[in-house]
This record gives sequence, C-alpha cells and structure tokens, in this order.
Amino acid sequence: MSRPASTSFFSPRRVLIIAQSTVTQLVRMKVFYFLAPIALLFLGMQHFDMPWYNGPEALQPEQELRMHKNICLGAMMVFSSMFAIVSTALLIPGDIEDRTLYTILCKPVPRLDYLVGKLLGVMAVIFIAMLVMDVLMVVTLHYRMEAKLVDAMEYMKNIGYPEREIEAGRADITSHGPTLILQYGVMSHFLKASVLAAVALLISTFSTSTLFTIATSGMIWVIGEFQSIARDGLFQDPVLGDTPGLAERIVGTLISLIFPDFQLFSSISDAAARAENILPADMAQLGWLAALYIGIYVVLSWFVFSDKEF
Amino acid sequence: MSDAAAVEVKNLVKDFKGAFNGGKVHAVKDVSLRIAPGEVYGLIGPNGSGKSTTMKAVLGLVAPTSGSCAIFGRNSLKVDSRMEVGFLPENPYFYKHLTAAETVRFYGKLCGMRGRKLKERIEELLELVGLQDARNRRLKGFSKGMLQRIGLAQAMVQDPRLLVLDEPTAGVDPTGSREIRDLILELKNRGVTVFLCSHLLEQVQQICDRVGIIHQGILVNEGRLDDLISLENRTELILENASADLLEQIQSLVDVTHESKVVSSGNARTTLEDLFLRETKSKPARDRKERKPVSK
Repeated sequence: MSRPASTSFFSPRRVLIIAQSTVTQLVRMKVFYFLAPIALLFLGMQHFDMPWYNGPEALQPEQELRMHKNICLGAMMVFSSMFAIVSTALLIPGDIEDRTLYTILCKPVPRLDYLVGKLLGVMAVIFIAMLVMDVLMVVTLHYRMEAKLVDAMEYMKNIGYPEREIEAGRADITSHGPTLILQYGVMSHFLKASVLAAVALLISTFSTSTLFTIATSGMIWVIGEFQSIARDGLFQDPVLGDTPGLAERIVGTLISLIFPDFQLFSSISDAAARAENILPADMAQLGWLAALYIGIYVVLSWFVFSDKEF
Repeated sequence: MSDAAAVEVKNLVKDFKGAFNGGKVHAVKDVSLRIAPGEVYGLIGPNGSGKSTTMKAVLGLVAPTSGSCAIFGRNSLKVDSRMEVGFLPENPYFYKHLTAAETVRFYGKLCGMRGRKLKERIEELLELVGLQDARNRRLKGFSKGMLQRIGLAQAMVQDPRLLVLDEPTAGVDPTGSREIRDLILELKNRGVTVFLCSHLLEQVQQICDRVGIIHQGILVNEGRLDDLISLENRTELILENASADLLEQIQSLVDVTHESKVVSSGNARTTLEDLFLRETKSKPARDRKERKPVSK
C-alpha cells in the first residue's frame, strides 16, 4: 500500500466541509425560527405611528423613518450578537461533551481547520439571518417611505411650496429610505457579531461549560460596548484635559487589546440610521479592524486548542 | 518504512493533574507495545487501568508525559498519521442532525474523498454494516447498536490500514456483536490491523492474535493469545458420536498410565452466544417450542 500524502497545515476545503456541516447543524436546530418574531416586529412597525404624530407638518417624516431604521437595526444587532455568542458557545463544548470531536480529530483534520470551520459556519448562518432581516427591513422601510413621501408631497403642493423646495423635501425623505448607507449599518452589525463569535470561540476552547462561555462572552460584549466611554472617563479629565499617566496608559491599552471596541461598530450603525454620509473607506477600515480582531482571537483559540487533551 | 509497526508505543507515561495539592495521577506507567501490520491486538484490563488513555495517546488525542507513540512509523501527534487510522470510540455519538449516509459522507470528505469514489464507498460501507435501510434516517433515532455500526462505517471510510476500536460491541445485541466480530475477522483477512479494547474477554479470545493485560497503568502481561492461555500440562480431546464403550476404553487406557488422569468428561457444551444465535435466527418465535439444549 502506498504511503498517503502528507496533510497540509491548513486546508480551505476541509474548513469549508466543517463550515457546511455547522450550517446544516444550526439550520436543523431550527435557529431561523427566531426570525419569525423579528419579522412580526418589522411588519408591525408599518402600522405604528408616533402618538404625537398629527399630519406631515407636526413631525418631520424623516423622524418616523429614522425610528423605523433604529428599531430594525437595533433588533438586528441584538439578534445577531446574541446568536453569535450562544451558537458558538453551544457548538464546541457540545462536540467535546458528546465525543463527536474525538472522531473528527482522529481524521486528518488539523485543529486550526476545525476551529476556523466552526467559526465560518456560525458567521455564515448569521449572514443568512441578517440577509433575511435586511430584506424585510428594506421592504417595510420602502413602503413606509413611499407612504410618507406621498403624504409630504401632497401637503407641500397643497400649501404651495415652490418646486425646488418640494424636490429638496423629496430628496431628504428618500435619503431616509433604503440606501447603500443603511446597508453599511447592517454590515457593521454583521462584523460586530462575527467578532463576538470569535470571542466566544476563544472562551469555549478553555471553558468547561456552555454557561460560562455565554456569561463571559456576554460580559465582554457589554465591556466592549462601553469601554471607549469608560476609557475617556477614567483616563482623561474632560474639563482639564489631563493627559493620563504611564500606568493609566498601559491599563487603557491593555483594555483596548483584550476587549474589542464595539462602540466603533455602533457608531457606523447610528450614522446609517441618521442617514449621515459614510465613506466606503470608513467601512473598509471597520472591515479591517473586524478582521484583525477575529484573526487575533482565532490565533489565541488555536494556541489554547492545539494543546488541549480530550 | 514498509517494515514499520502498525502501532509502536515506547515507554509511554501519562500523568494527569490531581484534583488536590497539585498532585499527579499516573494513568499509564512506562507502557511499551508493538503491533505488527495485519495483527488483531486486544488490550484488556479493569476500569481505570489505562486502556483508554493508551488508545488516546496512540490517536494523538492526549500527549504523552514521556515516551512516544507512532502509527506506521509516523508520530501520533502529527496529523499525517491519522490518514492511516480509523477510530471507533466507546459509546460513540455523532451529529444527530445528520442521516447515516450524510455522516459517512462527512467523515469521508474530511479524509479528502469526493465524487463517485466517495459515493460508492458510502454505499459499500452502509451495506457492510447493515444500515442500507436506514441510510436516510437521522441519527437521533438510532439505537445504541446502530450508532456502533455507523461508528464502524465512519472509522473505515478512508479504508485505513489501522482500526482502533474502543469497546466495539458495547451495547450491541448478540447478533450484532457476532456480526461485528465477523467483520473484524474479515478485515483481518484483508490485512487491516486492529487494535481493540473490550471487556468481553470471550470475544477478545475469539478474534485477537495477541493480547496485552494492563492493570493500574502497567502492562502486566503481553503475548500471543495461544501462548498466554494454553495450559501446558493439559490436553483437550473432543469426540463426536463416541459410544460408551469407546469412552470406557479410553478411560482404562488412561488408568494404565500412572502419570495421566482424566480431569473431566461429559458432553461438550456450546456457548450461550451460539445457542442464542441459533435460537433467534432459525425460526419465527411463534413456531418454536421449548426444547432441551442440543448435546453434541
């Protein structure tokens, strides 16, 4: 019998096989059922007007649309972040507990392939779920925007606004509809959820229970959301503008390295909800930052997992 | 490296951290063993004796504290060595969301198989382990015996030269157990090396060429099964259709010699396993009447 060829250090094909299996696993666990209440929320918002809303002149239609976007993006953020943590925390400890991992690692599968495959599988499911939610948001927002546009145009014409101002109003309302900038907001939540999945992956490699992984990842999520505010408050006097000391700088840097700064992701989403201009370069920078975080957490996970005994 | 042993364990020591005071638990103490290609080797010992730890070290799932393990000359800790090995863990669990065919396909793909070759291999293996009818059923509905069979199929998917089986017949009914035993013997005939541990000593005796006995982490005895269990000062003679006269003559011949004596005589007995298989395979249960055991 001829001697088999050596196994490559990292094989994208094997990673893909594990990722596909993870997607199948999560889909058959019926995780997409969670989308049903979100769909109801998005559809229900169509029929929800602010209580003080009383005609197009009382409140800018932009505010209605912004509220719609804020709720949609907020629901997407909560769903994707929680899903990233819980699903990643369930997968690897689950494989260890029921010894499925034995049979996988006894095949020519490097441990890095296994980890990256699991992470990509979770990210793929988050992507699909966010795509569905995104379509729902775009459709509902489009119809709401159209309705507001008709109301506003009719009102402006009736009271004799000049054509130039009517067009400016139209452009303003349209900018709060489904635009590319809004997609940047959705993308920022996807990137954030992916980073959270990588955090949960790292914790699950040394954690002894699913509950510990979920709780710790949740804690890191909260710290990540508020760390920039905390850093500003702790290390800089907003009035005097004192520069922090060496020890404070070290602590601040360590916090930034250990805990991802999720505020950066949220700021893009907030800007998207406000229909502010977001440059593609800003998005590219956010993408690189997310990739860097994910890369660091995957490498750390690999260090821990490569020496793990079962 | 064609003369390399299928499994070579050299001075394996494995310590685990104790629960208290940083003490150590010595799971395996200086175990050395060598399994030649094509051999069926059984590692037996009581619970907690170090069998599973030795197997895990061979598979690279635990790193030796000292010593080394190699599969066909390749260090067990290297991923390359796993191309040659198939493993069936004790009480195996697989992804319950997959069907039988999907499970074998998944493990086949992990071994780099694809296309028609993989498709044919899946069919061949499902037939071999008797799960063709359950090929599209999800594993969550499988019995323990069926899981054991699918475990064997996934272990064999890449046609490995070495099979490591941890309690391969645990939880399997006597019919399935016999089928697995026959399968191991068939694999042996095909030149596959089998390294197994089992509590069913009778089965180990039936299929293993060599046996190692491990106790408290030490390999206390090892060798060819025939050598280990034969009693040099005793001889067994089994006769068929022997008349009472013939037996009397044999007895009187033995009595003449003063060095020998007949220790026991009587009807040879079948095994309970054989009896069970005969009773359950021959006729439908309703047609059967109570009958005496058949004497040979």
